[in-house]
Amino acid sequence: MASRIEQFARVAADDPFFLGAALADYAASEHLDDLGLASALGCQEALLTPLRLCRRPRPEPSLFRADIEAIVARFAVNGDRLAEAVRRSDALARLRGTAARAEGLLMAARDREPNDGNHDAPESTS
Amino acid sequence: MTPLQSGTLSLLDERDLYARLLADDPVAPSDLAMAYFEPLTAWLEARYPRLHPHECATAAGEAIMALIKNPRSYKPDRQQRESLLSYLRMSAKAKLSNLLRAERRHGDRRADLDAVALSPVMGKYLGDENADPARIVERQEEESTALTPPPLPDSLRATLSPVEIEMLRLMTLKERKTIVFARLLGIADRPVAEQRREVKRAKDRLHKRRRRAGDHHG
Repeated sequence: MASRIEQFARVAADDPFFLGAALADYAASEHLDDLGLASALGCQEALLTPLRLCRRPRPEPSLFRADIEAIVARFAVNGDRLAEAVRRSDALARLRGTAARAEGLLMAARDREPNDGNHDAPESTS
Repeated sequence: MTPLQSGTLSLLDERDLYARLLADDPVAPSDLAMAYFEPLTAWLEARYPRLHPHECATAAGEAIMALIKNPRSYKPDRQQRESLLSYLRMSAKAKLSNLLRAERRHGDRRADLDAVALSPVMGKYLGDENADPARIVERQEEESTALTPPPLPDSLRATLSPVEIEMLRLMTLKERKTIVFARLLGIADRPVAEQRREVKRAKDRLHKRRRRAGDHHG
């Protein structure tokens, strides 16, 4: 059974603030379990917990590089793979945002009654 | 360098960790959580032995999350005599109090947090039957017996964390309040829209896993 700190790290991974969210996106897109994810990052499975609890690297290129380097310096993970995981998660988040906006527009369009009799009438200016 | 291990830090290490939190060091949140989550949970469990350990872990997690998201809430200059651990204890106690208050509102539990603290004199709890920890536990047990959902398949249960099991229990009982799930997930301090989004994501994931496991209850 997962330890409490592991469970806490998994809860934190639902929050995009944490690196865990990016690692979860990457693992899902590659169909990796924890062992596979650790192997992809070149680290022990036990290291996934502290990794998940790191702050997600900031998106600005110079800060992104510095953040990745700081995480690699501490945990000795594969920096290229880590950067790829975060970039992919960023791309997936953008896609999810686009999809959610499109869904919102569709729902707004469906909310309009097609035969309400008023949709051609000008709006009151009073 | 290896990750920080669970345990309290020296004042010097504490100050260094706090400075790194303020400086947006990406590893600092991890160091904070790894160093303080377990001791904080253990402290709450020892102080409130009648409470469910999950509630203590949730409160400890919320306190740590809050400091990570807003490190300036701790003011070492003004709180010179107070270590980071003391600050986190105070914060976790407040989070636990909020958690219990929300649960009490939800489940009509009437005991106050202080009423379930371990008294140095056994049996000397407020003289109020409703505040007696033994009665609180009995009442909780009665409630949980009355509200026991159908058992989860073993194959599904084995893959779930305690938080997810509790979420499924509440979902089976048709709990609909976002705040109840948000507290469980430790995100109650975030904006309501974000709570709704995250709770929905967590519920959708659980629905999917239930379907995959062939469980069609709830």
